[in-house]
Amino acid sequence: MKILYVTVGLIAIYLYVSFASLLWEGLDRKLVARMQRRMGPPILQPFYDFLKLVSKESIIPRDANKFFEIAPILALAASIALLAYTPLGFEPILATKGDVIVFIYLLTLIAFVRVIGAVSSGSPYAQIGAQREIIMLASREVPMMLGLFTILWRLSKLGVEKPFSVGTFYQYNIWEIGTPLTIVGTFVLLMVFLLWLASEIEVGYFNIPEAETEVAEGPMAEYSGRHLALFKLSSALKEFASASLVVAIFFPWGVSGYLGLSGVGAVILDLVFHTLKAFAVLFVSMSIFRAITGRLRITQAVSMFWSRILPMSLIGVVLLVIDVLGVIA
Amino acid sequence: MENRVEYWVKIPIGPIHPALEEPEKFIITLDGERIVNVDVKLGYNLRGLEWVGMRRNYIQILYLAERICGICSFSHNHTYARAVEEMAGIEVPERAEYIRAIIGELERIHSHLLNLGVAGHAIGYDTVLHLSWLARERVMDVLEAIGGNRVNYSINTIGGVRRDIGEKHKRMILDMIKYYREEVMPKIEEIFLYDPTVEARLRDAGVIPKRIAIEYSAQGPTARGSGVEKDVRYNEHLGVYPDLGIKPITPKEFTGIIKGDVFDRMVVRVGELWQSMELIERALDQMPEGKIKAFPKDNVALVRLKKAEGEGIGRYEAPRGELVHYVMANPGSEIPERWKMREPTFPNLFAVARALVGEQLADVPVAIASIDPCLSCTDRVAVIDSKTGKKKILTEKDLLKASIEKTREINPNIKAKPEPIGGTCGGVRL
Repeated sequence: MKILYVTVGLIAIYLYVSFASLLWEGLDRKLVARMQRRMGPPILQPFYDFLKLVSKESIIPRDANKFFEIAPILALAASIALLAYTPLGFEPILATKGDVIVFIYLLTLIAFVRVIGAVSSGSPYAQIGAQREIIMLASREVPMMLGLFTILWRLSKLGVEKPFSVGTFYQYNIWEIGTPLTIVGTFVLLMVFLLWLASEIEVGYFNIPEAETEVAEGPMAEYSGRHLALFKLSSALKEFASASLVVAIFFPWGVSGYLGLSGVGAVILDLVFHTLKAFAVLFVSMSIFRAITGRLRITQAVSMFWSRILPMSLIGVVLLVIDVLGVIA
Repeated sequence: MENRVEYWVKIPIGPIHPALEEPEKFIITLDGERIVNVDVKLGYNLRGLEWVGMRRNYIQILYLAERICGICSFSHNHTYARAVEEMAGIEVPERAEYIRAIIGELERIHSHLLNLGVAGHAIGYDTVLHLSWLARERVMDVLEAIGGNRVNYSINTIGGVRRDIGEKHKRMILDMIKYYREEVMPKIEEIFLYDPTVEARLRDAGVIPKRIAIEYSAQGPTARGSGVEKDVRYNEHLGVYPDLGIKPITPKEFTGIIKGDVFDRMVVRVGELWQSMELIERALDQMPEGKIKAFPKDNVALVRLKKAEGEGIGRYEAPRGELVHYVMANPGSEIPERWKMREPTFPNLFAVARALVGEQLADVPVAIASIDPCLSCTDRVAVIDSKTGKKKILTEKDLLKASIEKTREINPNIKAKPEPIGGTCGGVRL
């Protein structure tokens, strides 16, 4: 019975998040277009694109190997699995003791599958895009994981049963601790997470692997038709899931509690409210960031991660540590 | 390690690539992200315009010349008109020269705004592209009001201009300058002189040192960005430009240093936008009354040109650099014997290809965009074997041999014996 419940829930969430994330893509394109004083495409354009791509022929390069065709399916499978561990206003469906770690693994796995697909395509552009993707991956995870685990560790001091689970964020809220040091430290980590989110979805400064004018969409250079559609969908899902993590850590509040709802109604209301919060986070980290910045060189981006964002993350961590250990105060 | 393996990859940028506006091909050898070698292949955009020109009369070529390039259409037809005027010794009324200067500077404004946007797009900063192209619409409207068209305004004719600038146009131009001064230029300066992303990407990218710029004979903003004070309008005292107080713009006046990188080339363009607006204002003030063309009708001009002899060279500083047109008369015919042009992109392209060696792949699009390449102007010749359809590349030696043969054919009386083997030509030992 539980398996049936989980399966139905996962399918429902998959359908809902696909819809929401593609809707966000459309909103993002429209909002950025308005910032750039243009009309922009219709809000439903990503849906049209997806349906059109699915119906089109997929061209396989002569030099491609089998992984070229498998990679899109694996990427979508990994993103659907990711949804089972994504906080969506309530605890993830497959909540376990260490689901935060599974979440990060799956997020990285999607990028790896993209890299494998790109390397298998035999195109030099895709090859360079894959190299860049790996370099970015190695740089961006460190400050983010450092911040994430510090926050979890700080929350575990309040006495939670499963310190490495996403559910922790819904039991306690990092802002509730309320001491000045935690507030400042959390604020610094929020900045780190917003930058990490921008690099995870590769916009603005970090649009390096897919740089359109340099390597012609990088890893996606040789993909077309339904394979490309699957990749587009999986990256839209990944975008939403990454934003959901940021929302769950920093803005976990739900509205159903205030309205006194319970049961299915509360779940749906929280899900919708969570979607709006994720859109707000993505608006800052994706739309605005993309409108006001250009692409960096890969060397500049890497040095930015190691010499700017990592120290920033360390400062946030040190502030939280000082608060717990009570060195000052 | 004794046997160090070099993982070099050859990447074609072009003929069709998102970074390029027109078909050209760069074969880039990469070691990781570092560029080891750049090879330029041209000839994807050959339309045989010179061949077409040899079947048109002098007036018809004006309109053909305009269609050489989609951006500097005025420059081509202006330079061609100057060449024909020099050939036939035609005096151009002073008012016409002023109108030419005004339209030329309006064209420079629209071309430079376009290029600033393209540079923004090349570094993925699309907001710059959209906003600067939005600002460009205003000057396009003015050009349309004067010439009747947004791009091919057909202002020039042999011995003057075809359209006058009246009070209405003058008011419109002054309004436009006011709009640019107050609303557009502060933003452009903010972006191209102070924005951190732009500075991070454009500084020290695609550096063309002064020596390379002189050696490769770079032109226009590419040369001025490297500190070479080269501007045909200034050096050659072209037309009425000396009266308008022209001087070459170098990045020194804005940033204090000259590095010759992409940033400097963009700074030169920003400076030239300011300069063009000043020139237009002065030209509107100083413009005398009078005739706008030397011949009342085109057929009168043609009769005069039929009697012309000799050859003429027209030079003009197009937005991309020095443009040269050469016209050789065919006495007794309304069709010129030869019409030939040299575009600024050709030397600039090789200078930038040289500059890219040792840089990163990420700099390729923006470095290419920074010279504002115009390939439809550049492609003149492709040597193709008609039997096999194969393209052939001629070396300097072959070209020298061919030109000696051609000279003998035109003038068999020449006695001198050039020695192509063992001599030097342009510093290259043959």
